[in-house]
Amino acid sequence: MPREIITLQVGQCGNQIGMEFWKQLCLEHGISKDGILEDFATQGGDRKDVFFYQADDQHYIPRALLIDLEPRVINGIQNSDYRNLYNHENIFVSDHGGGAGNNWASGYHQGKNVEEDIMDMIDREADGSDSLEGFVLCHSIAGGTGSGMGSYLLETLNDRYSKKLVQTYSVFPNQMETSDVVVQPYNSLLTLKRLKLNADCVVVLDNTALNRIAVERLHLSNPTFAQTNSLVSTVMSASTTTLRYPGYMNNDLVGLLASLIPTPRCHFLMTGYTPLTVERQANVIRKTTVLDVMRRLLQAKNIMVSSYARTKDASQAKYISILNIIQGEVDPTQVHESLQRIRERKLVNFIEWGPASIQVALSRKSPYIQTAHRVSGLMLANHTSIRHLFSRCLSQYEKLRKKQAFLDNYRKFPMFADNDLSEFDESRDEVEALVDEYKACESPDYVKWGMEDMNNMLTAEGSAT
Amino acid sequence: MEDEEDQQKVSDLVRELVIRLLSSPADDGSATTNSKPNLNSPHFVNSLRYAQRILCSRLTPSVAPDAAAIADSVKRRLASHGSSSLALSFADLFAKFSSKTGPGSVNNKWAVIYLLKIISEDRKGAKSQYCPSNLLPNLSLSDDADFGKGKGSSSVKPLGDNNKKGWDNGVLLVSKDPENRRELAFREFVNLVREENEVSEEVLVRDVLYACQGVDGKYVKFDGGSDDAGYVLSDSISVPRATRIMVHKLCELGRLFRKVTGYIAQSMDRFPAEDVGTVGQALCSALQDELTEYYKLLAVLEAQSSNPIPLVSETASSGNYLSLRRLAVWIAEPMVKMRLMADLVDKCRVLKGGAMASAIHLHARHGDPLVHEFMRRLLQRVCAPLFEMVKRWVQEGELEDIFAEFFIVGQEVKAESLWREGYRLNHSMLPSFISPSLAQRILRTGKSINFLRVCCDDRSWADAATRVATDIGVTARRGGFGYGETDTLESLVDEAAKRIDKHLLDVIYRRYKFKEHCLAIKRYLLLGQGDFVQYLMDIVGPDLSEPANTISSFKLSGLLETAVRASNAQYDDRDMLDRLRVKMMPHESGDRGWDVFSLEYDARVPLDTVFTESVMAKYLRIFNFLWKLRRVEHALTGAWKTMKPNCISYHSFTRLQSAVKKELDSTLRRCQVLWVEINHFISNLQYYIMFEVLEVSWSNFLSEMDVAKDLDDLLAAHDTYLDSIVEKSLLGELSQSLYKSLLVIFDLILRFRSHADRLYEGIQELQARITRSSQSSSEQGSWTADGRKALTQRAGEFLRNMGHDLEEISKEYSSLQEEFISQFPVQKHVDLKFLFFRLDFNEFYRRVSPSS
Repeated sequence: MPREIITLQVGQCGNQIGMEFWKQLCLEHGISKDGILEDFATQGGDRKDVFFYQADDQHYIPRALLIDLEPRVINGIQNSDYRNLYNHENIFVSDHGGGAGNNWASGYHQGKNVEEDIMDMIDREADGSDSLEGFVLCHSIAGGTGSGMGSYLLETLNDRYSKKLVQTYSVFPNQMETSDVVVQPYNSLLTLKRLKLNADCVVVLDNTALNRIAVERLHLSNPTFAQTNSLVSTVMSASTTTLRYPGYMNNDLVGLLASLIPTPRCHFLMTGYTPLTVERQANVIRKTTVLDVMRRLLQAKNIMVSSYARTKDASQAKYISILNIIQGEVDPTQVHESLQRIRERKLVNFIEWGPASIQVALSRKSPYIQTAHRVSGLMLANHTSIRHLFSRCLSQYEKLRKKQAFLDNYRKFPMFADNDLSEFDESRDEVEALVDEYKACESPDYVKWGMEDMNNMLTAEGSAT
Repeated sequence: MEDEEDQQKVSDLVRELVIRLLSSPADDGSATTNSKPNLNSPHFVNSLRYAQRILCSRLTPSVAPDAAAIADSVKRRLASHGSSSLALSFADLFAKFSSKTGPGSVNNKWAVIYLLKIISEDRKGAKSQYCPSNLLPNLSLSDDADFGKGKGSSSVKPLGDNNKKGWDNGVLLVSKDPENRRELAFREFVNLVREENEVSEEVLVRDVLYACQGVDGKYVKFDGGSDDAGYVLSDSISVPRATRIMVHKLCELGRLFRKVTGYIAQSMDRFPAEDVGTVGQALCSALQDELTEYYKLLAVLEAQSSNPIPLVSETASSGNYLSLRRLAVWIAEPMVKMRLMADLVDKCRVLKGGAMASAIHLHARHGDPLVHEFMRRLLQRVCAPLFEMVKRWVQEGELEDIFAEFFIVGQEVKAESLWREGYRLNHSMLPSFISPSLAQRILRTGKSINFLRVCCDDRSWADAATRVATDIGVTARRGGFGYGETDTLESLVDEAAKRIDKHLLDVIYRRYKFKEHCLAIKRYLLLGQGDFVQYLMDIVGPDLSEPANTISSFKLSGLLETAVRASNAQYDDRDMLDRLRVKMMPHESGDRGWDVFSLEYDARVPLDTVFTESVMAKYLRIFNFLWKLRRVEHALTGAWKTMKPNCISYHSFTRLQSAVKKELDSTLRRCQVLWVEINHFISNLQYYIMFEVLEVSWSNFLSEMDVAKDLDDLLAAHDTYLDSIVEKSLLGELSQSLYKSLLVIFDLILRFRSHADRLYEGIQELQARITRSSQSSSEQGSWTADGRKALTQRAGEFLRNMGHDLEEISKEYSSLQEEFISQFPVQKHVDLKFLFFRLDFNEFYRRVSPSS
């Protein structure tokens, strides 16, 4: 009963980061491009069966579904070195291959139409696992397939597998440069609503921040998708290390997420990683102690979500929870010292309405990958400043919506038929509520938040009856 | 040839002289007889011989060569004898003699005078003594005649002038003649003494010698009756007091000898019926050898004792006789030794083995080199068996000690306790020249060998041992190996210990995979293998909620196996997994499975030496605690899963009355916030256990393991490891109350979990109903109004109740946790500070209750 996790990679972006993720996992577990365990991979201690299963011929096959409405990326995968890795039955490309045209509604609608095919695949995968823990969805929220079809899948999964966890790695669009996808604010907003309501945990991967990190931290003048995607795959693989290398704690996804997400709606996580390298790029070897790693993880420049907060707001922002996954040779006695230093220097600002602390998980490093760093660390944090990202999505949406621009594309689909744009409004409300809730978390009175007018409401109720 | 002729001439001259001297009285006496004396008469022969002796004497005169002085003394003597006339005439003669110079005169006048004086004195002495035959009557006639002859002889002198040159320095003769008067006096005295004493000294000496051999003599007999038993000269015999004391003193040797031989005989008799012990035997033999020396001496003395005790005048001539006094000198040294031996015999009578060696060693620390040397020799012999035992023990692990003399004693024990209880030091048998630390090393070395042999079934230790033997053999042969060679012993033991310990650790580490087993125990009993623990919890959880007595441990074993197969544990060494078992602790009625379930690890020989029952009991306690903690954590994540973000579609409640919706929100929020607080507590407790307790102890253990030189070090390291875990995870004696309150908190958390489950179940049900009613509402408008109202009412009531319950739990939890934390400052150990630090990382509790 390995607590399996099924990965759904939807859309162009989803498949690209998914592919990088599997590459990384194969390297870490010593699995060849064909899914065969390498001869040197005998050191054990790792759990491959969370993310892979073994076919009858001992090949390791990812528990992954590759879904897209247009064939380009998936064809690329099928022509790559890794073509024999995946189970071909788990690849879904829409028949017409026309994609979703960067239209959320199109993706959502097409998702509905192929629901049966896809759900068959999911069911088959789920039946193939002993104790399915949940699903991981990789997608972008800006385009058509990943956002629209991804949203539909989220709703379906929530309905069909309500007891299973649904985690997403959601790529937020780069908002610093003008996108070729003009309707991206619409798509983002509509997807955000599903991420809020139908996902249990959303790991926010902000392309803006990823680009910034690639430029600033890795000194790449013009980072390619592959380079930013390798950052993503690093984060994804690091965040699953405790599942893949079982230790004393945090051995399943629930255990990992439970402490990170104390209140149900605030389930959007930021990530930070240090030290960063791309594609085995030679880097200066730095002294890496636990304290160094933990301190760097708290620095904004290493966090993969842009903070759009103004200074005043930024000072108000608080951590709801932090989990640091430290990989490598670590002296456990250093952990306590590091925590003490961090508290002494007040490097971290926690919520005031409840107890909170930095959780540290020590994890093994893959013995098959040589890195220049003794210690590396990933931070998964629930931070209230993420509301500014949502606010920005909201404001961009408002701008577009005010102009009533590009709405016709959406009206073509049943959800928005007859000029019924209530879905937009509903989504807007949900996202706004989310922003509000995160804001409320910054106050010590969060526990009472939303209850202030309860007495009034009760009396109103009384008079009404 | 000429010399020979001269010799012949001299002897002829002497002979002529004697004839002339002897014949002259005859001339005076009767003319009838032949003027020539009878050459064959003894008188003549004796005289001749006397003359020759005088001439042959080479003694140097003891006086200064002063003729005047000698003449003076002669004059004085003559005057004192009342013949002053003679003195006067001597003076006259001497003046003439000394004035005579020139050719034909005597050169060494003083010597001539001296010779004459001595001869005269000699004659005089002989006369006064008891003399059976008057050999030179004419010489003894008168002093005057002597001098007359002396004067007369001067005419002869020129004849012998040349011949006399060889004896130029004068001639002295000390007479030993039995006619000596003093001798006579002594004889008389002796006879007198003999008359006075009943016993002669010879007899006494003989008796004393008998006594010295432990035999009763004629007069000296052993008296065992009196307080200080010993040989005494019976009172009835009258001897002078001095002699008596002397005899008494000498007889002490006999008493001591008797004691020593008595002891030896006794020991020999007792053997082998009673345990004298090899050390005792060695002592006997060493004593025996010492006695042999003593016997040799006695034999010599005995031989001497048969010679008569000469009179005082004879002493100069020969030493081969024994008087009491001589005896005293002879036996002075044996006496010291005998005294020591007797002393040892006294001390060792009741001792044996190492204790005996210690007792002897105590005597060896003596300033007297004689005593020291003697004791050292004795000890070398005595300790030989002990050292042999040590050697056998440290090299082969054999305990060859039938008489219980060795300072290491073994006892029959089960293999698992061989190391701890199989052998111990018997401090009473530890020779004092072996230091306790060395003894410990010796003990451990042999123990290691036995441990290897018995528990590890290992034979290769012999190689190590042989190497030691050869290595040490060299040094031992060079330096000797025995008492006084403590350095050699130390190096032997150290060398043997080093190799054996290293070998033992090698066997323990390599063949018996000690580290791996420790790790396995850490992973399974201390729940380090998270995935395994989780599945085990998943699958045995339902069973463990049943009453303890209904649970089949057989089934649980099956589930354990399943959990192993399902988790990464499956890749573990099968040997280790086979040792993992389910153990149900003894239970009382009312106990649930959770209370009694535990895992145990079958360490097996030889590792059960480390993982003894009491050690395993500690592990069990730790397991039990960690297992409970895990259960609570499991319950909490379970609760989170029911509360997880997408579990409630808030959509469904939009149509609900806003009051009820608020009630819903507030109840959910209360539940969530309580969950946050509890989860924070539990997960930080977990982190504390993991980092501050398990991992830190483990890494300390590992580093101690690396420096461990022998099994004892390893055991100590493991004990430290285990104890630190017990102590820090609040299982120690001191933190009992803390532990109890923790268990209360655990119970409360489990209660919270069931409440949370009920709440969410209720909400799901409500959600389902609302969905259903909203579906049906479109069809039957009138019914729904009532239905919805009732539903709303019921929902509100349910939520209010749940909210109330949760509030209660929340309050109870707060007070319990506060109580728990408030006990921290009382606790001794520092690590709880770490826990508190973690619990209040964001200073939430400090804000809530600033007092604490």
